Amino acid sequence: MRRILTWVPILFILFLVQSYFWVPTYEEQTRGNPERLTEYIEASIGDAQILNPILSADSASSTIESRVFEGLIDRDEDLKFRGRLATHWEIFEEAYFYVNDEAWIPNFGKADSKAIIQLLRDAIQGRESRDGPVSQSLANIEDIEALPARSFEVSKEERGTGGATVSLTVRVTAPPRIRLHLREVDQELFDHLSTVLGKEYFSSFDGKRFIEVSPEALSSKKAKYAREFLPATEHNPVIVFHLRPNVKFHDGHVFDAEDVRFTYEAIMNPKNLSPRISDYEPVKAVEILDPLTIRIVYKRLYSPALGTWAMGILPAHLLNAEVLREEGERRGMDPEKFSLRQSQFSRRPIGCGPFRFREWKTDQYILLDRFEDYWEGPPNYERYTFRIVPDLLTQEMEFYAGTVDSYGVQPHQVERLGRDPNYQNFTGLAFGYTYIAYNMRREPFTDRRVRQALGMAIDVDKIIRYVLYNQGERITGPFVKQTDFYNHAIETLPYDPEGALELLAEAGWKKGPDGWLEKDGERLRFTLITNQGNNIRQAILSIAQDSWRKIGIDVRTDVLEWAVFIQERVNKFDFDALILGWAMGIEPDLYQIWHSSQTRPNQLNFVAFQDQEADDLIIKIRQEYNHERQVRYAHRLHEIIAKEQPYTFLYVSKWTAILDRRIVIKEVDSEGEVSYSRIKPTKTGNYGFHFNKWIKLPEIPRFEMEG
Amino acid sequence: MLAFIGRSAIRKLITLFFVSVISFLIIHLAPGEPSQIDPLNPKFTQEVLERFRKEFHLDRPLYMQYLYFYRDLLTGKSLSWKDNRPVLEKIFERFLNSLPLFILGTLITWTLSFPVGIPAAIRRGSLYDRSTTFLAYLLISIPGFFFAYMLIIFVVTRFHVPVIGMETFGISSKGWHFLMDRLWHLLIPSVLGAAGGIAVLSRYVRNQMLEVESQDYVRTAKAKGLPADEVHYKHALRNALLPFVTMFGLVLPGLIGGSVIIESIFSWPGMGRMAYEAILARDYPVILTVNFISAILVLIGTFISDLLYMVVDPRIRL
Amino acid sequence: MTSIENMKTSTVPEGGALEAPRRTLFQENWNQFKRNRLAMSGLVIFVIFFIIAAAGLLLTSGTDPIFDPALVRLQEKLRPPLSAPNFETLKPEEVPRFGIYLFGTDDLGRDVFSRMLQGAWVSLTVGFVAVGIAVVIGVMLGGIAGYYGNKRILNLISVDGLIVGLIDIMLCFPSFFLILTVVALLPASIYNIMIVIGLTSWMGAARFVRAEFLSLREQDFVTAARALGLSDLWIIFRHMVPNAMAPVLVSATIGIAGAILTEAALSFLGFGVPPPHATWGNILSNGKDFLFDAPWLTFIPGFAVLIVVLAFNLFGEGLRDVLNPKLRERH
Repeated sequence: MRRILTWVPILFILFLVQSYFWVPTYEEQTRGNPERLTEYIEASIGDAQILNPILSADSASSTIESRVFEGLIDRDEDLKFRGRLATHWEIFEEAYFYVNDEAWIPNFGKADSKAIIQLLRDAIQGRESRDGPVSQSLANIEDIEALPARSFEVSKEERGTGGATVSLTVRVTAPPRIRLHLREVDQELFDHLSTVLGKEYFSSFDGKRFIEVSPEALSSKKAKYAREFLPATEHNPVIVFHLRPNVKFHDGHVFDAEDVRFTYEAIMNPKNLSPRISDYEPVKAVEILDPLTIRIVYKRLYSPALGTWAMGILPAHLLNAEVLREEGERRGMDPEKFSLRQSQFSRRPIGCGPFRFREWKTDQYILLDRFEDYWEGPPNYERYTFRIVPDLLTQEMEFYAGTVDSYGVQPHQVERLGRDPNYQNFTGLAFGYTYIAYNMRREPFTDRRVRQALGMAIDVDKIIRYVLYNQGERITGPFVKQTDFYNHAIETLPYDPEGALELLAEAGWKKGPDGWLEKDGERLRFTLITNQGNNIRQAILSIAQDSWRKIGIDVRTDVLEWAVFIQERVNKFDFDALILGWAMGIEPDLYQIWHSSQTRPNQLNFVAFQDQEADDLIIKIRQEYNHERQVRYAHRLHEIIAKEQPYTFLYVSKWTAILDRRIVIKEVDSEGEVSYSRIKPTKTGNYGFHFNKWIKLPEIPRFEMEG
Repeated sequence: MLAFIGRSAIRKLITLFFVSVISFLIIHLAPGEPSQIDPLNPKFTQEVLERFRKEFHLDRPLYMQYLYFYRDLLTGKSLSWKDNRPVLEKIFERFLNSLPLFILGTLITWTLSFPVGIPAAIRRGSLYDRSTTFLAYLLISIPGFFFAYMLIIFVVTRFHVPVIGMETFGISSKGWHFLMDRLWHLLIPSVLGAAGGIAVLSRYVRNQMLEVESQDYVRTAKAKGLPADEVHYKHALRNALLPFVTMFGLVLPGLIGGSVIIESIFSWPGMGRMAYEAILARDYPVILTVNFISAILVLIGTFISDLLYMVVDPRIRL
Repeated sequence: MTSIENMKTSTVPEGGALEAPRRTLFQENWNQFKRNRLAMSGLVIFVIFFIIAAAGLLLTSGTDPIFDPALVRLQEKLRPPLSAPNFETLKPEEVPRFGIYLFGTDDLGRDVFSRMLQGAWVSLTVGFVAVGIAVVIGVMLGGIAGYYGNKRILNLISVDGLIVGLIDIMLCFPSFFLILTVVALLPASIYNIMIVIGLTSWMGAARFVRAEFLSLREQDFVTAARALGLSDLWIIFRHMVPNAMAPVLVSATIGIAGAILTEAALSFLGFGVPPPHATWGNILSNGKDFLFDAPWLTFIPGFAVLIVVLAFNLFGEGLRDVLNPKLRERH
């Protein structure tokens, strides 16, 4: 017995330990493994959730989706749109208005549709005599036609007085309507036309006259239905995409307009609960003109619309209603409830991107193979691997060992690795900024001077230098710094504690006997909060507290768990000041974060920023399709926000990436000549832009024009 | 016996019911909502949020949510809110990954604890006893992740072999190589996982042995002049082993356990990490199901251990 | 050894029959304990740690503490231990005490020595309060179950059955998972962590006390006390609790060690005691991000936790040996 108890464990342990001799070393795994050169391995701390571009909302999923799926368009090196599945596109507008036969047109009198068309034609002919902008608007009109009067009936449900739903019938007898074809989208068209047809022509149109509601009792709703069915004017921007012929999905099926329409319909299908539904809500109709031409009509002016078509296109033949119903039945689920969300497609997606899906082991890895029939030619790497390594420290060790090619490198590591000759590093500005927000519903933040002073008391450059290790840049406003929309003329807030004290003194806050700032015997005291799990924000929290304490402000701090932070504090406006960050899109649409209508609970303008001019500009930017004009409005908006200082804009962080120096760009020209070059980030800082041309070499290459 | 089983089963069902209620309440009464409903995502309109809430029954009264949830769970239909996969399928997949860790960890614990604990008891107060005592406590006193990092860095810098993950990444080996590769990757995390177990169990073995050694029949055996080994390893050990038989039942809940920390550090896609991520995402179905299954295992475990106790110790009649 | 001493004690009393034995139970135990060198060293470290923690409280709190754990000096970050500060870049009030960074600085340039001092007290508080809560609940529930066990509530279930049922329910929850769930879902605060650890670890104490009470209840001195008409409370707290406390004490000592480790583990996952409180656990888990750049940030708190937890465990083990009469050495 004693012998058993001694020998069994010893043998057991020996058996376990000898497994060491069978394990490949790192050397064998990397340098000793030729296949390793044809594979790109990216480490991630988290797994993807759902590999369907219309459903996913996490960054891991979108990383994979960007390789597997392809959109109609994307952005090129200068962040301009370029065609992918679409070769080219046109944007124009169809504008409508109802003939207002009661309106008095200056120098003319009342007019029917024929007369209106004649008036407009004459105006176009004689446009030279009018103001510049008006004449431009007129010149932009390509064609005018009259649509006859029509009538129709709609049944609606309304909540009655007692809370019960009442169904009613709305009878609409619409007057004739005029349709204008515009060469370009023109948000000021009707303003300009009113110089021709009279100031009141559009605003005096009374839709209620043409509506009957039965039962009569509910005729109070007339105005609402008039707005819905008979808007005096309507802008309908139109995008026509010309699709690329002979593009194949990974299963060989050829892509066409049907897939585009299907993708749109899948997003709008309420069963799928797509988080992108709000992007496509302005779409009025998607019409297939021929298999390679698709026409998208919008209900209203919405300039971010074009950008939404960068969304990955789904294969209709694999996901249409019949296929889904079959899958639901096969898997024993309620076919009525079975939707794209439950479909196995999201676990093994098929798109027409440069890489095709091979295997997904949850929380271990996702493997992609290159797609040999990719329309732009197959990528150089044969495989792309997304490897999940949840711990940053082990990610780092794996990176040194060479078993991953890229990982979430931390600023302090960049400093050290940047000196290593084996690695190349890239850096560029990210699309997001970090800020301190002040609750402008509360004292003392209602005073602009206080907000500005608080900003001036913090040495942001020091934060950037020491907390971010210079991996950040100052920012003065809410636009993406590398786009034209950002107004570079605005200067950053200086670090000036003395000046801050002066501003505070102007606002009535003076040093009391105990050294704290006071006003009317009340100490300047508030709480600064941020969320848990972000070390940098927590560092800023300590620094801000410390800097403010130095000028005599009594600041308390609190770090809250994310959900609590958002739902209990931010959404309910229960905070004085907070540190948070916004991730921005390239589109300059600031409606949700800065428009004064967005200040209710659960909306994003939680600081309650309100400014009439800013509101107007935000709407104008949203409706403007012309880039130069958009830039002009954005610069002015930026100026207003920078002046008001609702946030202390701290910095936009830089992303960094470290790669093995052996990874280079390989290009083959038309004569089959192979050339290698170093990976260079684009002007906007995207180093992975040419990813499909990357390859890893066995040795570090030497380039002639090094430096 | 049958009466005992019947009574016990009823008791355990009642306990299970209360466990399900309590865990449900803890999760639903805590502030915050599932991350699927991310209110800071500008793309989510209020309308979409409402639809999500409806889909997840979050708009219903609490007791209805409870009924919906356990109906779905018991019919095997509950879906994870995070990725819409069936919860049971997800758990089973993770269970298969955690199982080898659990088996090897348990094997190491049970094979090592006895040889460590028994001589310590026999030679009480000796250098061996003191050093094993010290070592055992050392093992349970190191913060787990600190220990793990030290071990990984030691192995990686010393031996240049991979230790992360379930197998060496990117190399597909076959047959024996494959098995040994898996075993090697299992070894370090399961040693780490077993460290605490060895410490506790070997202490327990030692104390159990000490208790038996002081019994009269052992002293009689010694006095009779039987060889020391025979006294210790035959007479004493056999009786000291009795309580351990019943511990087999208590090992059961470990099946669905798994340390988040070790699994995160070693990139091991196990139960612990899934549960942890479910907590972070407030994926209620997964959290509650894991909890429910683990409660069932605990209850079955104690049941088995009660039964074993009756079997090995005929004096006990429940 | 013991036997000789015992002989002595039995031979010494000559004065009178009523004189109490010279050695109290405590002295007896203490002598026994002293001979266990591991346990003794545990106790010594325990006492030293206690002194450090108390000193830490004094030296790091107040508006102008002697060692300021919260002072951020970004330009002085990640300085190795025993390095001298760069006096030129620091204002006079920012220079660390003794003009040296004893344990180096962290990623924000805070003095690690000051933070360790502050953390000692916070970690100790977390351990003591959490275990205190567990012991109070355990003793109360265990005591009630053991003493009033036969009483019935509404004729449905006995008090004992109810409490045992509650214990069973609590044991069904995997404890770390439960703690993690609650800590992750509730607002982060040091109080929540202490309360949650306390509320999830009282079952052991409750069981010990219940078992002990069940047997004590039937013993002569309790029956005698009851016959004398003493109140229940008096009997419980004066006569029964002291007799049942031994195993509770042991598990409490080891429980404190466990609570410190639990806090460290929670810190690793980002759910530990939130700033501004420094604990050894969160110093350690923040430090691990800098393992290759500033190893002292990991090793100093790592070994500190190791040593203190080990001391608690060894001390607890020593207590167990002493207090468990069955395991007393008899030769």
